[in-house]
Amino acid sequence: MKKRSLVWITGLIVLLSFQGHSQDKIAGKPKEVIILHVNDMHAKIDNLPKLAYLADSLRKTHPYVFLVSAGDNFTGNPVVDMVADKGYPMIDLMNRCGFTVSAFGNHEFDLGQENLNKRLQQAKFPFICCNFDATGTVLKQPKPYLVLEAGNKIHIAVLGIIELNDKGIPDTHPSKVTGIRFYNGITKAKEYSWLKKKYGILIGLTHLGIETDVKLADSMPEFDEIIGGHSHTLIEKPMMENGVMIVQDGSNLNYIGKTTFRIENGRVTARSDEVIPITALHKADSALVELCGKYNRNEEFSKIAGIAETSLKGYDELGSLMTDALTHQLKVDFAFQNRGGIRVFSLPEGPITIKDIYQLDPFGNLVVTFRMKAEEIKSLISYAYNLEKGIDLQVSGMNYRVTSDGQGHCLGVDLFDDSAKSLDPSREYTVAMNSYIAASYRFNHADPGTTGSVTTAEILISYLKEVKKVNYTGVKRAIQIVKP
Amino acid sequence: MNNREVVIFSGAIVADAVRAYSRRSAKLLEKGKFRVFDQYGNQTEADGELTEGQKLFLKKREHEEA
Repeated sequence: MKKRSLVWITGLIVLLSFQGHSQDKIAGKPKEVIILHVNDMHAKIDNLPKLAYLADSLRKTHPYVFLVSAGDNFTGNPVVDMVADKGYPMIDLMNRCGFTVSAFGNHEFDLGQENLNKRLQQAKFPFICCNFDATGTVLKQPKPYLVLEAGNKIHIAVLGIIELNDKGIPDTHPSKVTGIRFYNGITKAKEYSWLKKKYGILIGLTHLGIETDVKLADSMPEFDEIIGGHSHTLIEKPMMENGVMIVQDGSNLNYIGKTTFRIENGRVTARSDEVIPITALHKADSALVELCGKYNRNEEFSKIAGIAETSLKGYDELGSLMTDALTHQLKVDFAFQNRGGIRVFSLPEGPITIKDIYQLDPFGNLVVTFRMKAEEIKSLISYAYNLEKGIDLQVSGMNYRVTSDGQGHCLGVDLFDDSAKSLDPSREYTVAMNSYIAASYRFNHADPGTTGSVTTAEILISYLKEVKKVNYTGVKRAIQIVKP
Repeated sequence: MNNREVVIFSGAIVADAVRAYSRRSAKLLEKGKFRVFDQYGNQTEADGELTEGQKLFLKKREHEEA
């Protein structure tokens, strides 16, 4: 009996050792996988050479290094966004950095479906998203997930998810996503929970914002990690929610995230994450530095958008040009521009270049449109006047007169249309302004407003290209009178 | 923002929410004297995009309540 037991135990040891050997063969020794992650780069190309150098350095010493983006690679730098082949420089540089995969962010759609298709084709890495269906549109349908291989049958599934706003689309101009059907990200992600069972390791590469990432982790503990974007949150120490590690790295490539997984038998047995400030990196890929320089010296900016027949001087003339661009291009009744947002004193007679326009309007403000009644417009003008103790808002589509007490206080506002008639108090007008005014000025407006996807500068460029010549000599649409 | 509801246009960013909350705070944010944090204590950059119901908190650089 004793002998039989010994044989049985020996047999078990042999069996276990074979099993262990077999598992080793499948999974090998514990492996270290490094995932470099960035989000919301917003076309800020200047730090990509440092990222490339870091990634290459790690690749020399680690066999499994992946480089991922959690979306919003575009929008935020004219040398990427305003070139003829919109977005091309960003993908070119991302290709050279060796990106593995990118999620779709809302600003990917800013390119427009046709342009975005070109960028997807240009990219040597896939863009993934599980919660939209582009069937029947110009946009090529992306895959919902990508499976990374870390040798010896170790697989890491990466699932892409995008945020939706209260209108059920990503935050971009609605015209950019025409025909695309979007679905709730968390609901859709749950349909892919089988990825964890099949591949053993699951990462969410999301563009949802930190608050939704937390909700996603609460709903899906299957995730080993959520690499997020959209809210531009700097998570210096990784958050743990429902057993899921959540990371995000601010924006504009100021930080790079570095996740390290220890993987045994196809499962993550240890995970850590660190945030590397780009300022802490002192070496850069020299070829990419040169290429960035080339993109930054873009001839596009010396191109002529239009001609000033006479020089434009002062807030009235420059502001009238800027607001006329809004009313003309957006086909709204009125437009406003605050004086603080007019950043040059004059534009000389002659050619107006793209660079001139970005100097005149450098803030990258988007346009917000409202439906407003005359009384609401008066409250806006009155607030602005009291704020600046004088005429602040330049206008298009109408003229206005402020009556003041001589101490910088507005006593009343009169609004006149182009034929000098008072505005109809019962009518609702469409009004455009930059997002700075929309956000920071206190005025009555029943309509909360809708933001567009283009900047005021971009609108001015398109306006000048269309009208070709402008002349604003002596234009003055806002006046003040002091009540004795 | 700082436990006060701010109603703002769709597509607004963190800086817009701060401007809507207080112009003075917005100026201090631009000067780098304030920072914005989320409800989990993470710093949020001024150009971050907002989601409905998001909670943000302004803090002075010394981490004093704004």
